[in-house]
Amino acid sequence: MPNRTGFEQLDQAVQEMLARPGKKPRVDPSLTPLLRIAEDLRHLPRAGFKVRLKKEILRRSFMPSVADPNVATTTSMAIYLAFHNAAAAIDFYKRAFGAEEKMRLADAGGKIGHAEIRIAGSTIMLSDEFPNYGAISPKTLGGSPAKIHLYVPDVEAFTRRAVSAGAIVVRPIEDQFYGDRSGQVADPFGYTWIVSTRTQDMSEQEIQRRFDEMAATERKSKRANPIREGFHTVTPYIVVQDASGLIDFISQVFGAEQTFRSTGSAGGVHAEVRIGDSMLMIGGGSPELSWRGDSQPTALHIYVEDTDSTYQRALAAGGTSISPPTDQPYGGRGASVKDGFGNHWYIATAKGAHFQLEGLGTVTPYLHPLRAEPFIRFLERAFGAVELEKYASPDGVVQHAKVRLGDSALEMGEAHGPYSLMPTMFYLYVPDADATYQHALAAGATSLSAPADQPYGDRNGAVKDPFGNSWYVATHLGRPSQ
Amino acid sequence: MAVSKPATRGSSAQASERLLVKAAQKDPARFGELYEDNFERVYAYVARRVGSRDLAEDLTSDVFHKALAALPNFDWRGVPFSAWLLRIAANVIVDQWKRGAAREIVTDPPEMAAEANLEEIGHRARLFRLVDKLPADQQRVIRMRFAEGRRMREIATELGRTEGAVKQLQFRALETLRAQVGGRKQSSSNA
Repeated sequence: MPNRTGFEQLDQAVQEMLARPGKKPRVDPSLTPLLRIAEDLRHLPRAGFKVRLKKEILRRSFMPSVADPNVATTTSMAIYLAFHNAAAAIDFYKRAFGAEEKMRLADAGGKIGHAEIRIAGSTIMLSDEFPNYGAISPKTLGGSPAKIHLYVPDVEAFTRRAVSAGAIVVRPIEDQFYGDRSGQVADPFGYTWIVSTRTQDMSEQEIQRRFDEMAATERKSKRANPIREGFHTVTPYIVVQDASGLIDFISQVFGAEQTFRSTGSAGGVHAEVRIGDSMLMIGGGSPELSWRGDSQPTALHIYVEDTDSTYQRALAAGGTSISPPTDQPYGGRGASVKDGFGNHWYIATAKGAHFQLEGLGTVTPYLHPLRAEPFIRFLERAFGAVELEKYASPDGVVQHAKVRLGDSALEMGEAHGPYSLMPTMFYLYVPDADATYQHALAAGATSLSAPADQPYGDRNGAVKDPFGNSWYVATHLGRPSQ
Repeated sequence: MAVSKPATRGSSAQASERLLVKAAQKDPARFGELYEDNFERVYAYVARRVGSRDLAEDLTSDVFHKALAALPNFDWRGVPFSAWLLRIAANVIVDQWKRGAAREIVTDPPEMAAEANLEEIGHRARLFRLVDKLPADQQRVIRMRFAEGRRMREIATELGRTEGAVKQLQFRALETLRAQVGGRKQSSSNA
């Protein structure tokens, strides 16, 4: 039995030992073995740590790592998808995602009651649409509430293949804070796939820390939004001889709404109009003004609910047809019209309930550079653009490409036929106008005006790129001083 | 210097460890068993060499994450799995040292071979496991006192007992542990 002095003396020695590791307190020789045990216990793990770490490790063992990007090979759960055309979907997934068909039960007409495919090691079950059995396709529903996440060894290669088979990039591939590099593609059947490659293994605590850090940065950046309210990163600036006429035209045809109008410093019109979720700036002359200058017509890709009726309205309002409404090989319906002021309008309706593709605004500028490649490289270097997609015909002509600039997109197809070079003017919002102005010059642009604070609350400068386009590079400072 | 060979383990223990490793290589979810068997050794090795519990936990976590990722490359050559883990641990600590966090590392950068310490590590690992088997109140006292470094007065308040009673629990717990862990050679356990 420990006597009182025994356990008091031991505790005192323990206290000394804990306070000054390495120093050996003097104790009664009978207590020395216990003190040695106490010494070893100094490194006892904290309660719960072992269990917590085990959970974390095991959870991780089901997740991919840099060393092993594909671990989800044996799971008891599979997603079950319905399609308006399951046979076409299987064919598409084979081409786009390298899917392997495992089984198919089809009726005499080829309608698929059940099929199984494997993509990146995971099983997906699927069938045609059977509303009576609750199997309803995204086409019928107007979208899918679920997205499918896929770990692959090389997200870039996987996405390239998917896009060349007809998938559409709806979110560009980017490094994510949680250690994945990932992007999202939409297939032609209404499903969206989040495709990722693990690039960095990290603990949950580290992920949380980065998440908090990001939230803090976002809070900070919200305090001074560099983009004027209602605007996006890119706003096309159309200059025409009759700005009022153009505004009338787009109001009639596209339901545009003028939100601002004044007379600019050069004696011309400066107007701002909204179409859907997009803004346009329109400048130039007007019958009552004595403005003289060159027009800068622009090509614009515009999503509308109904291509056919919009096309008819455009012709009735004085537009001329470039190409009548047709179903497009890439899905959806499209038509092209030239207005009386020289602008091209590429009218489109995407498939599905959302006539507008995810990731694109109602209006997206469309450029016709002589060669897309150097222009895209310029956009990357000057403005940090990210190339989203690019299709070239076998002869090497880039028929269509899309880049992301901040929260906006720019589209382009190399000039051919009626689609001639149309140098365009842009109003570009960036976090730091001075820095971007310098980047643009370094990338080969020439200065039109150095950055300066403007009375309307922006700081901006202007440059002309080597391809003839003009860019106002602006940062919104706050309320305009009126 | 008499380098004692690491405690040679029975061949059946080796064989079952080998099976566990194979199972985990096939199915990472089976890594849990290897983790259970080796957690205390790795923690004991790391904790001895770093200055804070937080860092010891971070680095221990690192070791097991790295081990899980590298498991497919683990090649059985009759070396205990724990020796492989300790080599990863040594590297993790050296990395930490190189990253300029030297002041948080208590001992010099560990030599790559952890062999000399195997006996001491095994002893501590056994001891840590025995703590789990103590009666609940003794266990709480030991954890609060040693793993959390709390003061007697705090522990007494939290347990709703007198300081004297807590000291008595501590004494009994240490006695039990000493009796169960068995002797170990008087080695140079001082830094």
